[in-house]
Amino acid sequence: MNNKKPPPLMRDVVINRIFEAAKNDKDILFISADLGAAALDNFRDKLPDQFIHAGISEQNMVDLASGLALSGKKVFLYAMAPFLTARCYEQIKCVIASMNLPITLIAVGVGLGYDHATLTHFTPEDIACMRALNGIEVLTPGDAEAAEEVANVAIMDPDFRYIRLDRQGLEPVYNGGFKSIFDQGFGHIVEGKNIAIFTCGVLLRKALLAREILAEKGVDAGVIDLFRVKPINGRALASVLSGYNAAVTVEEQSLEGGMGSAVLEVAADQNILKPVRRLGMRDGYVVVNGDRDSLHELYEIDTLHIVNAALELAERF
Amino acid sequence: MALNDLEAKASWLRQELFKMAMRQKKGHIPSSFSCTEILIALYYGGVAKITRGQPEDPNRDRVIVSKGHAAMSQYPILADYDFFPKEELERFTQKDGLLGMYADFRIPGIEGISGSLGHGIGMGAGFAMAARQDNNPYNTFVIVGDGECYEGSIWESAMFAAHRKLDNLVVIVDRNELCIMGKTEELLELGDLEDKWRSFGWYSCNVDGHSFDELMPALNLVGKTDRKPLAIIANTVKGKGVSFMEGRAEWHNRMPSDKQIIEALIELGIEV
Repeated sequence: MNNKKPPPLMRDVVINRIFEAAKNDKDILFISADLGAAALDNFRDKLPDQFIHAGISEQNMVDLASGLALSGKKVFLYAMAPFLTARCYEQIKCVIASMNLPITLIAVGVGLGYDHATLTHFTPEDIACMRALNGIEVLTPGDAEAAEEVANVAIMDPDFRYIRLDRQGLEPVYNGGFKSIFDQGFGHIVEGKNIAIFTCGVLLRKALLAREILAEKGVDAGVIDLFRVKPINGRALASVLSGYNAAVTVEEQSLEGGMGSAVLEVAADQNILKPVRRLGMRDGYVVVNGDRDSLHELYEIDTLHIVNAALELAERF
Repeated sequence: MALNDLEAKASWLRQELFKMAMRQKKGHIPSSFSCTEILIALYYGGVAKITRGQPEDPNRDRVIVSKGHAAMSQYPILADYDFFPKEELERFTQKDGLLGMYADFRIPGIEGISGSLGHGIGMGAGFAMAARQDNNPYNTFVIVGDGECYEGSIWESAMFAAHRKLDNLVVIVDRNELCIMGKTEELLELGDLEDKWRSFGWYSCNVDGHSFDELMPALNLVGKTDRKPLAIIANTVKGKGVSFMEGRAEWHNRMPSDKQIIEALIELGIEV
């Protein structure tokens, strides 16, 4: 029997951190569009004047936040990922991005996180659409430690940020090392020589597993956690990329405009000519019941497909 | 300001706006002329507490023209308040000028950004909540178009502001019954807006939006509404003051011919 404690939910870690800061700063306001969390129950119980339930009204939530931010408030918006992004995208563009207001958008359940809820709750496009916004910082913490540090930064240095939290608790990847690499914008978690595997969020663990399988097959792969797709650290990423023969990118995002596209943009802009194979969601989604692992298989972004993509590339070198 | 002085000020604003629009043939005249008296009542009737030359005063009342087509209607007033040099009015929409077709936060006295409809009340609710939290006495006034009330976000914000008892928030609906393609009641019926706002928990009333006799007492209800936000349905005429534009949807973004300019100048009392 496995008695191991499950990893904490990122949302609880983040909200607890904001709660601690909010106790000493009445200008911190936390607004939810009817998404809860255990930590949020505590927040609204202890700091009722700093919690706002916006109703299931994301458009109003964003407009409201801009008025509050223009009045000097440090505003955190919190909702399920699809409804905090595409649902109120025009509001975010007009009243946050245009004025670059220090508002933090905290989305839960990015990618395929709401696995059984299917397409309405998936966000195959959130990286593409959000990183197109003026002045935004887009962050995908890969475990609870990373999520806490991201929360720290959002509190200490309020800015226009989009924080992409996984719905599930994720097994730790960082062991106290995330803070030191935060400014870099990515973590070169395992270094390799042949194939670079770029990913972020939930798929980090599958990428690490794929790396182990590849090692058994004689392919030396490295894993890069590209947790900040914007602003992207093009120069440092180019330097990493140039140390490999080829790269695989894998994500729970559309192939058009997601993290993999961002890697290609870096390669092009920095004159790095390397074969890159992108794994992500193709057009022609199907509505299917099943858990996240089975969805990864369906969309061909699971461990096996990462391994196969890497092997195909490795054969060339 | 006495009522007849306010009327003179309204004439002044229409004259300034028409001259601004004619320089580059840019701007939305009818939208601006339907809310002229509303803005004059706010800025010169002693309703909005705003200090000349101090656009950043933290205690200032906030005025948001959410119906961005009428953004220009604030500009002569803000210049008159010494928020920026009057010469800027002559550079309206021009390269290197401060004042654009729609208003933005770079302009002293403008509280946000306009051009896209349905944002002003939510933003205004944010200002009103912040005022409440900071024990700041200022009020927030938001002018929306009746066509703007088609936006769902308006009603999200309406519900929210009433629930939060934001009686420091006032919405003035410029009810000119026109949008770009025609009459609102024919295109998609808005119906009884006073009733709609009331049913959302607001204190709501109907006034003649060109009558200071009716506008002033309604605006002065702010803070006296039993903890309800205040919605004033101001019944107006789009294009008011230029007879050939009045109540005619096709003038929304059209510019008059040379002959029509002369007619308008005469009607507006501008020396030809």
